[in-house]
Amino acid sequence: MEVCGSSNPTLREFGSEQNLLSRPDGSSSFVQGDTSVLAGVYGPAEVKVSKEIYDRATLEVVIQTKVGLPSVKERAREQCVRETCEAALLSTLNPRSSLTLILQVVHDDGSLLACFLNAACMALMDAGLPMSCLFAGVTCAIDGDGRIIIDPSAVQEKESRALMTFAIDSKERRVMMSSTKGSFTVHELHQCVAISQKASDNIFEFYRESVRRRYSKSV
Amino acid sequence: MAAGFKTAEPLEYHRSFLKENCRPDGRELGEFRTTTLNIGSISTADGSALVKIGNTTVMCGIKAELANPAVEVPSRGYIVPNVDLPPLCSSRFRPGPPGEQAQAASQFIADVIESSEVIQTEDLCIVKGKLCWVLYCDIMCLDYDGNVLDACLIALLAALKNVRLPEVTFSEDSEVPKVSLENRRGLTIHKHPVGASFAVFDDSIMIVDPTAEEETLSTAIITVVMDEEKHLCALHKPGGTSLSGEKLQDCINRTTIRHKEVHKLINKVIQSVKTPE
Amino acid sequence: MPESITDSKPEKVVCGPGLRGILRHKQPNLYWIDSQQRRYVPSKGENVIGVVTAKSGDIFKVDIGGSEQASLSYLAFEGATKRNRPNVQVGDLVYSQLIVANKDMEPELVCIDSCGRANGLGVFGADGLLFKVSLGLVRRLLAPQSEIAKDLEKMFPFEMVVGMNGRVWVKAKTIQQTLIVANLLESCENMTAQQRQTLFRRVADGSI
Repeated sequence: MEVCGSSNPTLREFGSEQNLLSRPDGSSSFVQGDTSVLAGVYGPAEVKVSKEIYDRATLEVVIQTKVGLPSVKERAREQCVRETCEAALLSTLNPRSSLTLILQVVHDDGSLLACFLNAACMALMDAGLPMSCLFAGVTCAIDGDGRIIIDPSAVQEKESRALMTFAIDSKERRVMMSSTKGSFTVHELHQCVAISQKASDNIFEFYRESVRRRYSKSV
Repeated sequence: MAAGFKTAEPLEYHRSFLKENCRPDGRELGEFRTTTLNIGSISTADGSALVKIGNTTVMCGIKAELANPAVEVPSRGYIVPNVDLPPLCSSRFRPGPPGEQAQAASQFIADVIESSEVIQTEDLCIVKGKLCWVLYCDIMCLDYDGNVLDACLIALLAALKNVRLPEVTFSEDSEVPKVSLENRRGLTIHKHPVGASFAVFDDSIMIVDPTAEEETLSTAIITVVMDEEKHLCALHKPGGTSLSGEKLQDCINRTTIRHKEVHKLINKVIQSVKTPE
Repeated sequence: MPESITDSKPEKVVCGPGLRGILRHKQPNLYWIDSQQRRYVPSKGENVIGVVTAKSGDIFKVDIGGSEQASLSYLAFEGATKRNRPNVQVGDLVYSQLIVANKDMEPELVCIDSCGRANGLGVFGADGLLFKVSLGLVRRLLAPQSEIAKDLEKMFPFEMVVGMNGRVWVKAKTIQQTLIVANLLESCENMTAQQRQTLFRRVADGSI
């Protein structure tokens, strides 16, 4: 387990572990504050004929909640994670195969969608799937006084006026995915995007560091 | 020849148009399809609207029911939106339980209602802790030709404006609500959220109001929802290729114009419905 | 590390973006990125261990751990003719070479070299143990001067077949010894050279 005691006070402490499950082809856990997600990737594996796409891999994302059955909310999140991963993965290199990404909520204490994205990216990296870029998820909350809180906890999320989650790509730090709640001004949006882009640098640095450590043993 | 080209190389076909700053259906890149609106089309519903954006046709019906408020929030009613994409509207949808797209659309509409506070759920409360209204907003797509989210939002907003709720009196001792169907009143619409959808081609070219074909060929889709105070209610981009801040600003600017157009359209239709009476 | 721009004059080489593993280099100019995948993606010319899953007409279907089953013609064995079919049963292990492997086609295997000789390929493994390790470990085992294999050899004699698809088959004199080899190999995955040598020494001394 590696922990990034973040020098940037705005992000909660985050950490991750790769390759912790034996069955999946790639796995990771990602912890942001008290929010924790476990991810597993299978593939490229055999695909059902009905889901086969002739020129690229079929990606399926499944979100498992801590209790109860997945609802419409999880479906919407699955769509966000899937389309982000699809854009990052070079899925044309493995046509007619299936990739399955399973995200298990271990604990939800805010910024869950961002944590899903980070766990997903680490798991895809662990599986060694070809990708055109990496991505990092960052959540911003705007509280009643108009202050921007980055990586909010569940309590902060509840008290916030608006909530935005972005996926930032590693190449040009642009917005790959955006999902918002609550109303906010255009200026606030741009501020949040800029802050998320800055915060994503920490996450990308962490990605590099953890991969470097992982491979340091087999040099 | 053109038909063959279109079937064999749909992406190249579209690109050759985009290069000339136009689209296969003759529109410019930033041009919406003709939007038409009909209000009160379903007489049995408490409020309804039919929206057409080009070929995309969406119908929204609102049914009001009396219910007990939730214990945690005794002074609030409920709004329950549901988007249905039946097999009728396109061959891409199969019969059976709602698919991912329909569920994601339902969640999106629910999020917009909550974020924009188009209706305050407190207004739907009749007697605190005892009685409130539930608005079932069923949105059904009749013809799918892309950009359903925009159409759904217009249909929902117009239908909400069309709702006429009967007056309810609640006698404290008998605890039985009395509904007088003669006296009806409309809902207070606090905000008017209007959406605009964009499709991104080849990571750089942005087109507005994509058709179904453009949606499938594009690399990313983004929907911006804005109210009349120019506050954003949603910036929905479920993945796809990345966009810079400037591109987002372009989308927002276009949405501001679109908001005015749609707002004018809704008001005009409401006026025209009222005049004959 | 990838995602970095290597400035090797006169031309610029851009590697990445994305993080995968260690960038390795072999003279004069062969670069590759070493990673620890687990899923095998077939690639032409590699030797793999497959499991025969079905016989259908002229071909065997073989599971090699990729996204699709590979096909193996019954004529692709040493000395096989139309009348003299090789004795291959469903469930047999075959050590074979990929002659067709690209993303758009079904992979195809052979158990002979270009001269028609088996050259080590073919059905094997009457007993012994087959297990899976990461592709990174397999590559380390197959490296010409592999230290892991050398260290293991010192302990006791055993047979080993290593497939590029992450499958390893071992057989020693007793079942006990076979299991020791298998367990040691599996534990090599996440160990530095030093840790490995200590472990092997302790096993050789009989302290574990």
